[in-house]
Amino acid sequence: MAARSLRAHLLRMLLPPIAALLVLGGLVAYYPAIEPATEAYDQALIDVGTSLGTYVRAGDAGYRLELPAAVDQVLRRDSYDTVYYRVLGPAGEHVAGDEGLPEPSDEPRDALVSYDASYKGQSVRLVAVPAHCGNATCRVLVAETTVKRKRLARDILFSTLLPGMLIAGATLVIVWFGVKRGLGPLARLSEEIKARSPGDLRPIDAAGAPEETQPLVGALNGLLGEVAQASRNQQRFLANAAHQLRTPLAGLQAHTELALAAPLPGPARAELEQVHQATIRTARLANQLLALARAEPGARGSAADVNLKTLAEGDADGWVHQALARDVDLGFELEGVHVQGDALLLREALANLVHNAIEYSQRGGHVTVRTGSRAGQPFAEVEDDGPGIPAAERERVLERFYRVPGTPGTGSGLGLAIVREIAVGHGAQVAIADGAGGRGCRATITFQL
Amino acid sequence: MRLLIVEDDAPLASGLRRILEAEGHAVDVTSRGEQAVLAASQERFDLVILDIGLPQMDGFEVLRRLRSSAAERAGQTPVLVLTARDAVDDRVHGLDLGADDYMVKPFAMPELTARVRALLRRSQAHGGPRIVHGPLTLDTVARRAFLRSEPLELAAREWAVLEVLLGKVEKIVSKESIIQAVAGWGDDLSPNAIEVYVSRLRSKLEPAGIRIRTVRGFGYMLEEFKGN
Repeated sequence: MAARSLRAHLLRMLLPPIAALLVLGGLVAYYPAIEPATEAYDQALIDVGTSLGTYVRAGDAGYRLELPAAVDQVLRRDSYDTVYYRVLGPAGEHVAGDEGLPEPSDEPRDALVSYDASYKGQSVRLVAVPAHCGNATCRVLVAETTVKRKRLARDILFSTLLPGMLIAGATLVIVWFGVKRGLGPLARLSEEIKARSPGDLRPIDAAGAPEETQPLVGALNGLLGEVAQASRNQQRFLANAAHQLRTPLAGLQAHTELALAAPLPGPARAELEQVHQATIRTARLANQLLALARAEPGARGSAADVNLKTLAEGDADGWVHQALARDVDLGFELEGVHVQGDALLLREALANLVHNAIEYSQRGGHVTVRTGSRAGQPFAEVEDDGPGIPAAERERVLERFYRVPGTPGTGSGLGLAIVREIAVGHGAQVAIADGAGGRGCRATITFQL
Repeated sequence: MRLLIVEDDAPLASGLRRILEAEGHAVDVTSRGEQAVLAASQERFDLVILDIGLPQMDGFEVLRRLRSSAAERAGQTPVLVLTARDAVDDRVHGLDLGADDYMVKPFAMPELTARVRALLRRSQAHGGPRIVHGPLTLDTVARRAFLRSEPLELAAREWAVLEVLLGKVEKIVSKESIIQAVAGWGDDLSPNAIEVYVSRLRSKLEPAGIRIRTVRGFGYMLEEFKGN
């Protein structure tokens, strides 16, 4: 179903009553105005008829109209309409004038009647006026075409309808723009929500919202609060679960290492070696899940000033031991540079990059950790001269649980996803490129200042 | 050395005990914070390995009581904190209360034994006139060095660099911190000069199996002595 437009709805509601009011208003104004005007025109016709009546003479050969030519012209003169007349004798016989003019039906011959009829294919207004001819009463019919009457009706109609139509038009315009203006606060509200980062679950500031939108803002804030609470609960659960895993894993690791230190028959040693590797992987996975939980929005600590050089130096010991264990040369090119962020998360991100670089380097490989700023933007990066990541895979390796097909080793595919998640949380970007000379891989986290 | 392990997870505690006993230490284990405080106040331990997540009295409280203990020996015993938590605040809190080092579970046993050795060495070195590293012995009072019991000739600067490295075995020592420790009398030492001293130390110590690792762009690390 298409979204209902509030405007269209309002207009649909408003238009029929406005149209009805217009018609009703027109009728109410029209009839009181048209009646006196019609009467005045009729009266003029009656006057003509009365004047004509004074020229009807009774003679021996019957009745006749003795109308001087000058009078005839005066009587018939009209700027808009054509005037016709006809004189009838007391018995209804034709005396003079236009013979085809119809008489009123069923009216006493001596009555003064005004009526509409049609003559020579035109609609005409007629009056029948009684006139004295000798001792009898003759009848004079005067007709005129209806041009000026129609024009008058049109003028009256127009002048009564125009204000109504103007008001109706104004109403529609006001509704059209008024709805837009009235919905302005809602538009601003949606802009504010749109501009938010996905993890921003803070309540919306209700202070600036108009009264009518308060229930909406309240409902939204209620929902945001519930989502935030659910997210916190989930993170707490994940963190607790990972924490609970760590102690037994430490015990498992201790005992497998102890057992491996003792003399063992070959097959048993091989099996135990597998158990040991699995233990280490599980431990790392638990740590990575914890890191992901911490990187979730809402779980982040408050941002503080972090020097990337100090951060890298602080963890260098552990990394160097990892590198030595795999016979990889780990080097540093560190320049002090400050960013705002969560030191624990940033350390996790950098540690993941270093871990990956060491893990996928061949023996005798080189890994270099760099911090500093390029083009005014702080960065931390790790470069290796290992097998590298094919260009087509560079986006996908940042996804959770994705591993480049055919990759040796036992990674979970979470490391780079954690790096990206942490970077995004800090408004930073992760880019993967070729290492120096097109060999290996260079992963860079670039911060915005 | 005499070690006290305070850990309520029985498999982990027994694993730690056996590993450290294999290193030649006498190890006591308790799963209760209260017992740990009592034991440390009555007997002398060279190192306490303390889990933070203990039932009832947690590790932080144990640490606080140890450090405020009237018994001088309990107040000075080095403490290695074990934690399943890793929030920055936990680390800072533990170190503020006087922990000497911390490890996040789970950990590799070689790393644990290396840290234990480092802590024990540090506590021995405090006030101790002799520093021993494998076949190397430094008599800090007489300022004489011996390698495999033979006197070893060291220039003053070489001695100073070696002393810094011996204070942080298995840890990276940055060139800057070596310069700061060595050039104490207003003279101007370049990083290149440090490289020269380290290279001279290497030629004297490597035949005896003592290795100084270069960490490119950062500094040096004196490795744990693993035999020749």
